[in-house]
Amino acid sequence: MTLDWGVVWQNRDALIKGTATTILLTFATMAIALPCGAVVAVLRLYAWKPIRGLATAYVEFFRNLPLILVVYWAFYVLPILTGLGVSPLLTGLAALALNVTAYNAETFRAGINSIRRGQVEAAMALGMSRVQALRRVVIPQALRRILPVLASTWVSLFKDTSLVSVIAVTELAYVSMQVRAQTFRVLEMLTAMAIIYWLLGYPQAKLVDWIQRRYAVTE
Amino acid sequence: MIAENNSGGRAKGTGATIIRYRGVVKRYGAFTALDGVFLNVHAGEVVCLIGPSGSGKSTLLRCTNGLESIEGGDIEFEGTMLPRDERALRAVRQRMGMVFQSFELFPHLTAQQNVSEGPRTVLQMNQADANQRAAALLDKVGLADKAPNYPSALSGGQQQRVAIARALAMNPDVMLFDEPTSALDPETIGEVLSVMKKLADEGMTMVVVTHEMSFARRVGDWVAVFDAGRIVEQGPPRQIFDAPTTERTRDFLSHLGWSG
Repeated sequence: MTLDWGVVWQNRDALIKGTATTILLTFATMAIALPCGAVVAVLRLYAWKPIRGLATAYVEFFRNLPLILVVYWAFYVLPILTGLGVSPLLTGLAALALNVTAYNAETFRAGINSIRRGQVEAAMALGMSRVQALRRVVIPQALRRILPVLASTWVSLFKDTSLVSVIAVTELAYVSMQVRAQTFRVLEMLTAMAIIYWLLGYPQAKLVDWIQRRYAVTE
Repeated sequence: MIAENNSGGRAKGTGATIIRYRGVVKRYGAFTALDGVFLNVHAGEVVCLIGPSGSGKSTLLRCTNGLESIEGGDIEFEGTMLPRDERALRAVRQRMGMVFQSFELFPHLTAQQNVSEGPRTVLQMNQADANQRAAALLDKVGLADKAPNYPSALSGGQQQRVAIARALAMNPDVMLFDEPTSALDPETIGEVLSVMKKLADEGMTMVVVTHEMSFARRVGDWVAVFDAGRIVEQGPPRQIFDAPTTERTRDFLSHLGWSG
């Protein structure tokens, strides 16, 4: 078996573009899933009961479905429901955001719940409103606690963006598979893909480790 | 039921009544935590609440600033009934400082920021004025040099002194202390009690839930003995500690090994 690594170099432009799309998808998903996750968490904790139930249903629904199923579902069902032709990239982004928002909502909720009641009481004893206590006392502390979890979610998300390749989003995995299909250079392309994911993923994982040490909670 | 017996032997009993508890009842489900409490707190007085654990002392304190709601009777603060409405309650809480057994300093803020947080967020005071007030209060509790430290770098006694400064930063009319020294190492209890003594000497009105009988005796102007959600005896410390009139008070004090 002869290997031809030249194929990787010949397709560098496509691979670079694919990598850029992967990174873009990761950032865009988190940009949506962080604020939305926070909102869902707050709704689950404090909203009027029926709304609370809806938020819970949302979280439990998307947390317990395989992401790839959500991706397919968004691809086939969204156009039927909305009557709009949505690009694969936006469809993939929607699927990822729905999934990660559910995870982030749980992370935020756990973070808020981990702050003991006495902290809110101390804030309220000063004359703060519940909203002020949440904003000035609970959320800043909760954020520190959940930062490592959010960072882990980030690293998972970075790898999971590859799942949207099944609906032809031209990110790194899809591009690699395309080149493989055209050239039949399976081993070369899979290896190149692995190396790119790893080289990008490893520093992120190290960054997570650093964040976990840096923001370890001391009380 | 103990009647509103209040002026006999009460040195500062002539000041205006700041807090008036009238038949206060608090229930948690089937459990009655407060079963008709009558007590008056006058301006400038230090009123100590003593009694066995679970007898309702802390509950009464928590009802005073509305952290807990009451099921019966009423609580009057500065001549007005304690409001039920959250917004009105917040205005009342600003005039009552509270110090907790477990300090409850904000761990993400420095000592200085802990003290300036109330003035900043609640009173909308500007940064410079709030910092100045915080610095002055930290100095008052003897912790000027700890201003930039986070609570995790302070001893228990120091944390509790910061908590006292934090409560004072709102310029309260009354200070409520909920077992302020119960979570402390014996060697740091003294520094907290002496800050409290200083406050009392300056004329601060204080309601103190405590197991420190010597503090209640030395600093208290009025002592209320709790048992099973009621005040079984109240009077000046001389009476409570030297000549208790009820069996329950004698029992409680003898369990603590108190001997006059």
